[in-house]
Amino acid sequence: MTNYGLVIDQERCIGCQACAVSCKQENNVPMGQFWNRVLTEGGEKMDTPSGGYPEDGGSGSLDMQYQPTACQHCENAPCVKVCPVNATYTRDDGIVEIDYDKCIGCRYCMAACPYNARVFNWDEPEHMPEEGTGDVEARPQGVVEKCTFCSHRVEDGLDPACVVNCPADARIFGDLDDETSTVSKYINEYETDQLLEDRGTKPKTHYISGEMSPGRPQTSDKMESELDDVSPWSDGDDDVPSKEADSVGSESSSSSHSVEGGEIPYATPAKSGGDD
Amino acid sequence: MAAKTGSSRVAIPSFGGKGKLWIGLLVALMIAGLAAWGYQLTTGLIATGMRNVFSWGLYIMMFVLFVGLSAGGLIISSAPKFFHSHRYEGFARLGVLVSLACIIVAGLLILPDIGRPGRLYQFFTSPDFRSPMVWDFGIVLLYGLLNLWYLWLLTRRDLAARGSSLALGFKNTEAGRDRDRTLMFWTAAVALPTAVALHSVTGWIFATQVGRGDWFSPLVAPVFIAKALVSGLGLLLIVSVLADRYTNFEVDREELTSLGKILGIFLAFHVVYLLAAERLPHAWADHFEFWAIMSNFLIGDSVYFWLWTVVGGAVPLAMLALPPLRKRVSVIFTASVLAVVGTMFEGIRLVFTGYEVANIDSAPGISLGGEYTGITTDIWATAGAYTPTLVEIAVTLGIIAFGALIVTLGLKYVPIQRVDAEPSYATDGGKQDQ
Repeated sequence: MTNYGLVIDQERCIGCQACAVSCKQENNVPMGQFWNRVLTEGGEKMDTPSGGYPEDGGSGSLDMQYQPTACQHCENAPCVKVCPVNATYTRDDGIVEIDYDKCIGCRYCMAACPYNARVFNWDEPEHMPEEGTGDVEARPQGVVEKCTFCSHRVEDGLDPACVVNCPADARIFGDLDDETSTVSKYINEYETDQLLEDRGTKPKTHYISGEMSPGRPQTSDKMESELDDVSPWSDGDDDVPSKEADSVGSESSSSSHSVEGGEIPYATPAKSGGDD
Repeated sequence: MAAKTGSSRVAIPSFGGKGKLWIGLLVALMIAGLAAWGYQLTTGLIATGMRNVFSWGLYIMMFVLFVGLSAGGLIISSAPKFFHSHRYEGFARLGVLVSLACIIVAGLLILPDIGRPGRLYQFFTSPDFRSPMVWDFGIVLLYGLLNLWYLWLLTRRDLAARGSSLALGFKNTEAGRDRDRTLMFWTAAVALPTAVALHSVTGWIFATQVGRGDWFSPLVAPVFIAKALVSGLGLLLIVSVLADRYTNFEVDREELTSLGKILGIFLAFHVVYLLAAERLPHAWADHFEFWAIMSNFLIGDSVYFWLWTVVGGAVPLAMLALPPLRKRVSVIFTASVLAVVGTMFEGIRLVFTGYEVANIDSAPGISLGGEYTGITTDIWATAGAYTPTLVEIAVTLGIIAFGALIVTLGLKYVPIQRVDAEPSYATDGGKQDQ
């Protein structure tokens, strides 16, 4: 069975908000609402660390980490269990989704969700531009909505928008039931946490912290299971599977080229400083 | 004086000037409530003070209160019947009438809380039986129908004797009255567990939730039973004192005093014992020094806590416990009002403890889906805040007015007391029961 899950490498995350923005755009999320948020674990405000500077007797304990947070697609999802009308349900592939035709707007699921992952359309949803964005139909006033793991993309064999658009390769989507998938391997190899594990909701979103993983470089919109080479080091040039070795080579050559042929702006002044 | 037909009494034979004014006031409140609901339907729930972090508000708080209020009457009228006692007979019919009105108010309070009321039929076409809300929907419906049946069963022979069409063709015969007495016993036997189920299931709506702080506690269901006993009996005493003063309904002073004493016992059990049982383990586990444990145990942190425990707990308890005070009608009335108000604040506090703290509260927080009225300036919040809007208050008052109208019309059309077989009506209450 397919059981989709997400691994987020907090060591790789640079807090750029690309996942939050691409989610909002792809899913036509109304103004004033977010399905996916990049939280700052650290100081009081966004992008601020906790602790003190390492100078003038300061503690030198500055610490900050980003925690991208959306629906955790729990296995024991309280929101699914409380929904009186089966509007929120778990799909066969493990994605927790909402049938907006059934939703009566009682918001019991919002009370049930420990992660505050759900938002309610308190008024007529507003979109910018007015006709909306992305590939998902707008939801009406009076229903609850949330992250769907971009089920409309997954059904087409594509990774969720937040995964494709992560420039730090910090988000890895895949099948938790497939032992060879990158998500399964990373959950085994790295130290991973789930949010609010003690509540027993069994989230399918796993966070890596401590040791940085290699991530999964995005070279295509396609899901890992749709690619022919699932190695995280591959550039996944899936359209031409026979060129696998070639493409690996081209990746290394292109990257070395970019280093050699680049301007290297601070290398020269450093050398000249040494000459002086 | 009382409009007597046969051996039953209707509390309001006909509406006088004051009665019409009262009905007019209730109807005006209902119209205002309907208008406010209409406005809310067109603008959406943005018209309320609820937002994404604090997503249940006044409607649910008042739903919890009115489910509790619906307990008292039915229990006071059915418990003695179950034990074949004539105790509190004079309160029986009024009690069921008040219970019926309260459960209708509770059910109606859910409507304005629903984002798309037009989809409510999904409860029938696509129910999920794992959901405590489905359980509650069923039990509220059952409880309402049970109250209606019970009120009719208690009064149908008297209605027949008065020639009322509400008797639905039943005749006032001795054999029929005998059969009804058996039916009343069995109805009482069903009513008591149904009441227990109603309050437990309503408690479990909250108690099953792992994500909302203190909600997730096995004590919530027993606490809901206790506060239903307190507030339900409190409301019954309030309504009977008012009905005694403004209508032909007559309160037996001795039984009133006795029920006041029972209210005191309920209060002690609820506000003193259950609260202590709930707080002590946490206070003990979280603190080390004796006085730290004690102060954490005894001292609450929110204004709702103090409104509930002192104004709604300690003060009425003292009033109902002190011998020179507890027999006065005014004292019983005031203590009952305080008990009901205290229970209301307990419900408010319960909802606040669930929503005011977010489990994951890192910056920038949770998108609100609209600004909190006057509290934040952006769309983000790391904690819940809630103030009901005028729209919510108007809708709520309108629904409560509808409940008051049901009680008022009940006092007019339902023979609310028997006048025979209860010589105690003659006493003026000067005699003490103990």
